[in-house]
Amino acid sequence: MAVKIYSTPTCVYCRMAKDFFTKNNVAYEDVNVALDTKEREEMFEKSHQMGVPVIDIDGHIIVGFNKDVIEKALNLKHEV
Amino acid sequence: MMYDLVIIGGGPGGVAAGIYGARKKIKSALITDSFGGQSLVSADVQNWIGTKSVSGYDLAKMLEEHLRAQEGIDIFDNDLVLEVKKTDGGFTIGTQKGKSYETKTILVLSGSRRKKLGVPGEKELDGKGVFYCSTCDAPIMDGKIVAVVGGGNAGLEAGIDLLPYASKIYILEFSDALKGDPITQEKLKANPKVEIIFNAKTLEILGREFASGLKYEDQKTKEVKELKLEGVFVEIGAIPNADFLAGLVQVNALGEIVVDHKTQATSLPGIWAAGDVSDVLYKQNNISAGDAIKAVLNIEEYLRKQDR
Repeated sequence: MAVKIYSTPTCVYCRMAKDFFTKNNVAYEDVNVALDTKEREEMFEKSHQMGVPVIDIDGHIIVGFNKDVIEKALNLKHEV
Repeated sequence: MMYDLVIIGGGPGGVAAGIYGARKKIKSALITDSFGGQSLVSADVQNWIGTKSVSGYDLAKMLEEHLRAQEGIDIFDNDLVLEVKKTDGGFTIGTQKGKSYETKTILVLSGSRRKKLGVPGEKELDGKGVFYCSTCDAPIMDGKIVAVVGGGNAGLEAGIDLLPYASKIYILEFSDALKGDPITQEKLKANPKVEIIFNAKTLEILGREFASGLKYEDQKTKEVKELKLEGVFVEIGAIPNADFLAGLVQVNALGEIVVDHKTQATSLPGIWAAGDVSDVLYKQNNISAGDAIKAVLNIEEYLRKQDR
């Protein structure tokens, strides 16, 4: 399973998401779109919007931090 | 199972109430979607008494930890109260997750939520140039022209969050004066990037795929003007979260729950309210905590009298 989060350092919902991954032993790649313009463009393309966080769970794109939605996306992947 | 007290909300008020209730050994529960209240997204809180400087996120964690250290309070988080019904012995509370709780008394500390502009383009361009969280999304706006709608504290703080990134920041204020703290006003006024526009009524956010402009009316001259920009941060105040009590307690024209400011009691015996959801004059973390404690002490008296 590949989990990638597009975040900014000051974004509290990004921190919540990352804390949530850590707590649940989910390995993730974190990219700082405040600095990395290439990753930023990729985030815009994937989510068709500019707000952070954007979370990519095996191609399943989630905008914002919603525990239930993320849990579901992770669980669904576990079952497959 | 019947609680003596159910606290609705996990901001500074809810947590203060939870701690006092637990220490008073009131059989209580706290229901909230998250901890920390509206300051959660603040980059830096400098007026939480006893703490020189703390991020909203760390403040939320401190509050949650302090509450979880109490014994004898049931905490139901990641859920939202949707309705309250009056029963013979008290109230039934229904939540988004389909749970139901019985209680003798309720303390409402559900705070308020962000008001939206309600103009064309706002919804269509949400996240595509229209933002509601400046600490989150300000860094995306580096080198770009942006506007903050609202000249209260939240608006001015959004301006501060944008200073390191945006190339130009318009602050659009509806009235003829800024309402935020003078210390923040001065910081913004001293920066040549910042331009404050008074008497500005936002009419429309322009843009196809992403935001490209903002149309506003100068309310003095009635002239309609257009700003070219790529980001709009909306900070125009709040709406009290009192919908789930519709028809049960008295609210004012702003939708705030009317309370007796000596006890925090509402118009319906058994329900108390404090913090931003109430008609308190000043919406402040420290005041919410104090008023919530005042309510718990009054609830304790009420419960004692009932048991007699």
